[in-house]
Amino acid sequence: MAAEEMGKVSKRLRLAFAVSSVLFLIALAVSPVKDLLQEWKTYKRGFVRLAQQRPDTKRLLADYHMGIDQIWIPQMDVVDRCVTCHQGITQASLLDPSVAQPFRAHPTIPHRATEWGCVVCHRGQGLATEVKEAHETTLAWEQPLLPIRYVQASCGTCHRADMPETPQLNQGRELLARLNCVGCHRLGGITRPAMLGPDLTSIGAKASREWIYKWLKEPRTVTDSNGNVTVNGVENEQEPRMPQFPLNEKELRAFSAYLSTLKGKAIEPAGFDSRVVAGWEKKPDTVDQGEVRFRQMFCTTCHSVAVTRAGETKLIGGENGPELTKVGSKVSQDWLVAWLRDPQASLPHSLMPRYRWSDEDLYKVTRYVMTKLTDPDLLSIVPKLGEASPEEVKLGQRLFVEKGCASCHVVKGLSPPTDFGPDLSSLGRKTVSQLEFGRAAIPQTLIAYIQAKITNPGSVNPAARMPQYHLTPASLDPLTTALLSMTGGPPNSGMAQLVVPAPQPQFRPAGEFGELYERYKCYVCHRFNGYGGTLAPDLTFEGSRGQRAWLIAFLKNPQTLRPTLTLRMPQFNMNDQEASTLADYLGLVMQSPAVKPEAVSPKNYTPEMASLGKQLYEVKYQCQSCHTIGASGGYVGPNLSNVGNWMNAAWIAEWLRNPQGLAPGSIEPRRSYTDQEVTALTSYLLTLRENGPARGAPTAAGAGRGR
Amino acid sequence: MAASAAGPRVGGLLASCREKSATAKPDPLARVYDVEIDWNDPQRVISLNYQQAQGKRVFYTYCVWCHADATPAGPSNRSNVTGTPPLANDGSVLNPLSDELLRNTITLGGSAMGKSPMMPPWGKTLKQDEIQAVIEFMRAIAQPPYKPPAHPGPQYSVK
Repeated sequence: MAAEEMGKVSKRLRLAFAVSSVLFLIALAVSPVKDLLQEWKTYKRGFVRLAQQRPDTKRLLADYHMGIDQIWIPQMDVVDRCVTCHQGITQASLLDPSVAQPFRAHPTIPHRATEWGCVVCHRGQGLATEVKEAHETTLAWEQPLLPIRYVQASCGTCHRADMPETPQLNQGRELLARLNCVGCHRLGGITRPAMLGPDLTSIGAKASREWIYKWLKEPRTVTDSNGNVTVNGVENEQEPRMPQFPLNEKELRAFSAYLSTLKGKAIEPAGFDSRVVAGWEKKPDTVDQGEVRFRQMFCTTCHSVAVTRAGETKLIGGENGPELTKVGSKVSQDWLVAWLRDPQASLPHSLMPRYRWSDEDLYKVTRYVMTKLTDPDLLSIVPKLGEASPEEVKLGQRLFVEKGCASCHVVKGLSPPTDFGPDLSSLGRKTVSQLEFGRAAIPQTLIAYIQAKITNPGSVNPAARMPQYHLTPASLDPLTTALLSMTGGPPNSGMAQLVVPAPQPQFRPAGEFGELYERYKCYVCHRFNGYGGTLAPDLTFEGSRGQRAWLIAFLKNPQTLRPTLTLRMPQFNMNDQEASTLADYLGLVMQSPAVKPEAVSPKNYTPEMASLGKQLYEVKYQCQSCHTIGASGGYVGPNLSNVGNWMNAAWIAEWLRNPQGLAPGSIEPRRSYTDQEVTALTSYLLTLRENGPARGAPTAAGAGRGR
Repeated sequence: MAASAAGPRVGGLLASCREKSATAKPDPLARVYDVEIDWNDPQRVISLNYQQAQGKRVFYTYCVWCHADATPAGPSNRSNVTGTPPLANDGSVLNPLSDELLRNTITLGGSAMGKSPMMPPWGKTLKQDEIQAVIEFMRAIAQPPYKPPAHPGPQYSVK
């Protein structure tokens, strides 16, 4: 009985054992099966299959191992497992677009993928081993991949200086600086300039209350329903620096009242020589002559003016200074005269050169500006404003600080707020959970947020104080890229060593040259030792290039060297002494060590050499495809008709050998001339002289030609 | 107080989530490094990869002056050059030429290849990968479109 029962029990037990061991076995199998089916392992196996189908199987599988691959960059805190699936990134034979991802090779870039990994540039999560977690925003890991269109932002996190390979980033940084974003925000790599908007301490003496009202309501820019930006009714591609603030009628009245009372400095009367006024006042063509002078002096190199040709109105001119189409309806002649005589007396940081005016020219030009650059309908949208009441003035002053105007504009006696807008220097690092999207119907990503915010600040935050910009689609992506590159300071010291800082060159010469350099603001357009503008030629080696007599003649009467340019050097009306001081300084200081005057001997050049040079120029090398001599030739390079009077022999010889050595980035192709050819070409070019040291004054007909 | 402050925020978040699913469609250009507008058809946008985009930069610095009708400075120098240079997107002229021929012409210049000496050699000014990038860019914008040969190989080249 007992044995029978024992048998029964053991039978039941055995069954239980059997069932549970099967269950255990299944449970044990779950883990290896799960492991086998892991996402990354399927890609591992996929790569082997791909490699076996290709002729270079052995090379493709040389580094293969069945496990998680990773790139570890300790100094950047990067552990990058992307290469577990992206196994072909360094295999040149997999570059073809027909190779399916994740196995395609990475295009050749200046950095090696094996050294830098993937997330440094593409962002995302390097540690993740699942496709979704690595590429997208998930609950635990928020940083998504950076869309390729904005990938230059990652270059900017380390490379603080502009690079030719990253045009979009460079353009975005330039826009951030030009739109005065640093007025309110902190931005990495963009320092606050000495002046953002003009000093308004004396604005009441310059412009009327009505004009101020109009300006604030419609600061030149109006966007029509088609999205075309117009400036004073004239189409314009560039966003003006003064953005549009959302202001109601009461605020507009308060602002115009307050600003019109700011009369820090009274305007002195023009004080023309009475004989000049008497002589020109009655002449019928004073205004026309003023226009001729305005064009001859090339005011439009920095200021744009709307011009109507063949029924089409266009803005023509540069962007260093404000647009002037309707300035005559804004300022008084007395103000204009005082300004033109000494701009820095009114605005110490103004970039406007202090021209040497004759009373005649000044009278004619100001008459032209006050007569022709006007619009009688400019203030038609302005209601009757009347006298400013004390309440309006008080409210205006309060609003001036509250709305952030004081961040860009100085008013003596008002202390500006610091850090008016949020710090954006680590905006590019922000995750979605750190952003407020409000009711905006946009994808929940940082990029969508940035673009919504800069195109319409109210869309993500109805209470935003940020003004309205009218950005064209072409500037939206560059701006987004530059903002995404703002990822704050380097997270650790190892990273700090990898940062390539932007150079901060300064060129502030002293002495007589320094004074003229400041007076004529040479650095606004020209570059000296890496410092200054890029509108005009780099003058770092000008002393090696230009002959002294030519320089003096040019400074006194600048002429066209490149026929296609519409923006040219203004005529400053320098006197002889100033021109020689500038030429002497350039000749002594701004020299290139590569140009050796003692190595060439122009005295020994013979007519035979020159005629050989002419042959080489015209037949063998056909330089006329890009350069003009006389009336024929191309206009990619400068006109060489007067090069014998213009350039030094040693410069020409060295330029022929290695143009990029003297002007990095020059588009003149570097060729393989022999020494004999260099001498022949140099001697030929030196024979090209036009009579006299300089040609006559530029004519009005050729002035300000549109693009 | 706290609840009332959180209320609209949560509501807004929910609303935006709902709207997100309705509006969030992938932007086809987000995966594109750079674009070029078709020279013949302003409506057509050509997407460029990294290498083609570098080629675009080099092209618009060095080549555009003679191989395009519109240049960053306005007028083109094309009419000043005898033996009118082909437009860079002219597929009918450039598609039959192999990469190797184009590379040699750009590197060594026109006279070395029996073409117009007005085409200068760029081998000492541009790096080889920049020249390759320019070729890739021209292939990308070619009209009619360029199709790579089935059997890539030297067509004719200068050693």
